[in-house]
Amino acid sequence: MKLLRGVYEGPQSYGILRVAASIRGVHALLRALPGEAYFRTLYGTRERTGEMAPVTLSPLREGADDSMAPGNLARDLSGVVRRHPKTEIVILARSEASLLSRETIPTTLPEIEGTGRTPRLVTFPWERPGMSETEAAELALEDLIQARMQDRPERSPYPTINLFGPPIFGPDAAAEYGEAERLLDMIGVEVNARVPLGANTGDLGRLQRAWANVLLYREVGESATLYLQDEFGMPRVTTPMIGAAGTGAVLRAVGELCQLDPKSVQRTIWAELACTAKLPWYARLEPPETFQNRRVAIFGDFTYPLGLGYALAREVGLEIIACGTYLTHLERDFLFHANSFTEGAFVEDDPDEVAARIEAAKPDLVIGTHLEDGVADSLGVPFLPLCPPVADKPFVGRPLMGYAGSSVLADELDSALRRTSMEPAGEAGMQWTDEALQEAAAVPLFLRGRARRLAEERARRQGSGEVTREIFLESRS
Amino acid sequence: MHAVNGLAERLPDVLVVVVGTQAEAHLVQCLPAAPSPNLPPSRLNPRVIFAVLDPDDPPQQGLLASRTVESAAGLRGTRLVLLVAGRTAESLGIDAAFEARLVARKLDLPVEVVNPDAPHKVPGILSTDLEDSVLAALVNLCPKRRTSDLVETASPAKRGGLFGGLLRRGVEASDSDGGRPVVLLGGTLSPGAAGVVAAELSRAGVEVAGSVPGSGIGELPPLGEGTVVAVMDPNLTSAAAVAEKRGVTVVKTLMPVGVDGTARFVQDVAEEAGSRTSEVVRARSAWEDLGALRNRIRGKRIFFTGDTGFEIPLARFLADAGAVVLEVGAPQLDRRFLAAELQALGPDVDVVVSPDYRGQTNRIDESRPDVVISSPGLHLPLVARGHLCRSPRDFLEAGLYGYGGARRILELLVLTMERAETLDSLNL
Repeated sequence: MKLLRGVYEGPQSYGILRVAASIRGVHALLRALPGEAYFRTLYGTRERTGEMAPVTLSPLREGADDSMAPGNLARDLSGVVRRHPKTEIVILARSEASLLSRETIPTTLPEIEGTGRTPRLVTFPWERPGMSETEAAELALEDLIQARMQDRPERSPYPTINLFGPPIFGPDAAAEYGEAERLLDMIGVEVNARVPLGANTGDLGRLQRAWANVLLYREVGESATLYLQDEFGMPRVTTPMIGAAGTGAVLRAVGELCQLDPKSVQRTIWAELACTAKLPWYARLEPPETFQNRRVAIFGDFTYPLGLGYALAREVGLEIIACGTYLTHLERDFLFHANSFTEGAFVEDDPDEVAARIEAAKPDLVIGTHLEDGVADSLGVPFLPLCPPVADKPFVGRPLMGYAGSSVLADELDSALRRTSMEPAGEAGMQWTDEALQEAAAVPLFLRGRARRLAEERARRQGSGEVTREIFLESRS
Repeated sequence: MHAVNGLAERLPDVLVVVVGTQAEAHLVQCLPAAPSPNLPPSRLNPRVIFAVLDPDDPPQQGLLASRTVESAAGLRGTRLVLLVAGRTAESLGIDAAFEARLVARKLDLPVEVVNPDAPHKVPGILSTDLEDSVLAALVNLCPKRRTSDLVETASPAKRGGLFGGLLRRGVEASDSDGGRPVVLLGGTLSPGAAGVVAAELSRAGVEVAGSVPGSGIGELPPLGEGTVVAVMDPNLTSAAAVAEKRGVTVVKTLMPVGVDGTARFVQDVAEEAGSRTSEVVRARSAWEDLGALRNRIRGKRIFFTGDTGFEIPLARFLADAGAVVLEVGAPQLDRRFLAAELQALGPDVDVVVSPDYRGQTNRIDESRPDVVISSPGLHLPLVARGHLCRSPRDFLEAGLYGYGGARRILELLVLTMERAETLDSLNL
C-alpha cells in the first residue's frame, strides 16, 4: 500500500475505454459498479463534441435476477446490440470490482434483429486488477486489430502507411495525427489508417494494405505494430516525431521503407525547415546565453519526455537535469533511451516522489503533466504542461509532433525562458525588515518559499529595496 | 529620441518628459530600452511620461510646466527632470527653456532641456546623441569644485611629480587625496561598469572620486579645475566638451576595453591624476591568462556592422588578440575624440562611417566572415543568410570593461562559435 497525492494513470478499464471510444463502430459495455460510470461524463467534458460516448454500463449489483433493470450481463449485451445496430464490434471491459468478483462472462452475442448479422464480441481475458491504463490500452488495441484480421487485402499499389497515435483524451491528439499526415502527404505517402483515433472498424481490417507502420505514440501502438510486424512482415518506424531532427529522421525512414527518392524527401524536409519548422531557427536566433546552464526537468509518459528530451538537449542545447516516466512497465526501454541525453533518468509513479526528485534537481524549467504544476510553482520556475495527462482541453488542438509541433515548442520555450530571463538577477539581495521576517515565520513551512517570493516580487514592483511588514501582508492578501 | 527608455532605466531618480506629438510618444513607447533583437518591448517605464501635443491646438505657455509639476508630484524620489523637446515641439511654439525654468522654480529641482534634434557636430540621428547630451546636462549639474580644494590638492600633486614614482608606489593606496580626483564619465550601458573601472584604477593607486551619472543625481561628484575626467564611452563627445569647458582635464586615451585598452587607460589616467604606475605587469599576466581563449579566436574573421559605437574598441582588442577584423562600421565617428583608438586599430582596418546597409550586407556575403557583430536591424536578415551574428549589446550587457571584461568578451565569442558548431553538426 502507498499513500499517494494523485495518480498518473487510470485503471485498466479506463485505458480500454479510451481505445474503444477512439474507434468508430466499436461499442463498449463496461461491467462495473454503478458508481464507476464516469467515463461518459469525462468524454462529454473532455472531448466537447456534443457526441455521446459509445459506452454502456452494465452495473454490478446484488439481488434477484428476475428484475428487468440492467445488471444481467447477457441481457445487457443483447441490449447493446439491439440499441446500437450499426455497431460492428462490442467489447466487454470490466472494472476492477467486476474482476475481483470473479463472475463468468459470456462469449457470444445475439444477432441483430432482422439482419442475421452478429457483431463481433471482443473480451479481454488478460484483464486483471491492478493493471494500469496504458498497458491495458496497448493490449486492447492489439486484440481489436487481431479480431478484424480475417480478410487479407492486397498491399496498396502506391506507398501508404498506418499511423499509430495517441487515443482520445490527449488534448491535442487529433492535431498530432493531422500534422503527421500532412508531412507524409508532402513526401508522397498516403495514410492508410489512423489508429486508434479516427479509425473505424473497417480500417482495422485493412491495415495490411499499408507498406509500413509509423508509431507516433509508442505507449499504445507498441504491441499492435509488433503483431503486424511478426504476422505480416510490416516494418515499423518508432522514432518519436518530436523536434525537427526527430521528424526528419521519421520522414527519411518512411521514405526508405516506401522506396521513395531520398533526394526528393530531403527537398521536402528542407522546404519544411525553411517555412514551418521554427525550432532550429529559434535555436539559432536566440543568443547562446539563453540556454547556457539552463536546466530542465521533464516528466511524463514515454514518447513525450523522450522526444522532448532529445529535442531540447540536442537541438536547443538545454541541460536535461532530470527526465522521468510514470510508465513503470516500460522502465528498461525508457532508461535506455533517456540515458542518451540525461544523467537523471528515473521511473516513478508517485507524484510526491516525482516532485521531490524534480525539486532536488533544481531545474530552471519544468515540463510535465498537470500534476507537476505544483512543484514548478513552489520552485518558482516556469512550467509547461506538455506531457499527458494534462488538464486543459483546448478547442484548437496544437500539435507537438512534426515540424508545426516544433514551432509550437519554440513558442512555448520562448515565452517560458524569456519570462525568467527578464527577472532581475538580484533575487537574493532583497532585504527583509525584522517585522516582515516575523510575519513570514508564521506562514506554514511548505508555503513559505512561495510567500517570500511573492513579497519580494511585490516589493520590486513598488520600487522598494526591502520587504517591509506592510508589503508582505499586502502580497499575502 | 531612441534612447529615452534606456536612459530612464539607467539613470535612477530622473523624470523624463517627452514633449511632442503622438508620433514621438509612439516611437518612444515602441522602442525597447536595449534594442537587442531578442528582447520584447519592455514594460512602460513610469519615469517616462509623454506630453502629447495637439497640432491643431497648441497649449498655452506654462501649461506644460504645470502638468509636469503635477506628474512629478506623483513620483517619489525624483531628483532631476529632463524635458525632451524636439523639433515638433519647437514648431508648435513650445518654449522648452521657459517651461523648464518654470518647472525648476516650482519643484525646486534641476530641470534640463534636451533637444534630440539639435544640430549635432556629426550628422545622423542616433540614440547615443541623446545620451551624450543628457550626460552633458548632468556634467553641468555637477557641483563646482571649490578653489580651496584645488589649492589643497594641487601641492601634493606637484610633489608627486617631483619625487617621481619611487616614493609614490606603496603610499598611493592608503593616501586617498594624493592625486587629483578622478571622475569617470559614462559607462551607463554596461552594468557595474563604473565600479569595475574604479576597482582597476584603485588597484593602480588612483582613487575615484565619483562617476557621472553615478548612482543618483544627489551624488554627483564635484567637477572643476584640477579634476581629471576619464571617459568610458566612445560617444560622449559633447559631454566631454562640456566638462572641458569647466576646466577639467579630460584624458583622451583608449577606452578601458580589452587588455591593451584597460592597461593604457589605467596608466594614462593615473598619470594625469598624479600617480605613476606601470600596468605592464598586470597587463602581461592578464594577457597570458587569456592565452587559451585567444587561441580559440586566432585567425577568425570578424565583421562589425556598427551599432553602439563600442565597435572600435572591441575591434581594436580583438585584432590585438589575433582575430582578423574585416570591417568596422561606426554609426558616427569623431576622429579627433577617438584618435587614440583609431591609431591603435591601425590603418589596415576599414572603418566605415554611417555605413549603407545594402552595401554592407553585400560585403558580408562576399567575405563570409566567421562572426558578424551586427546591429539590431541587420541581425535577423544576416542570421537568415546563414551568418553567425552577435549583437554588440550582448557584450555590453555582459560587462566589457577592465581585464575581467576582456575575458568576458572572448568567452562570449568562443561560446557563440561553439554553439554554432553544435547546431551545424545536427542532422535535421
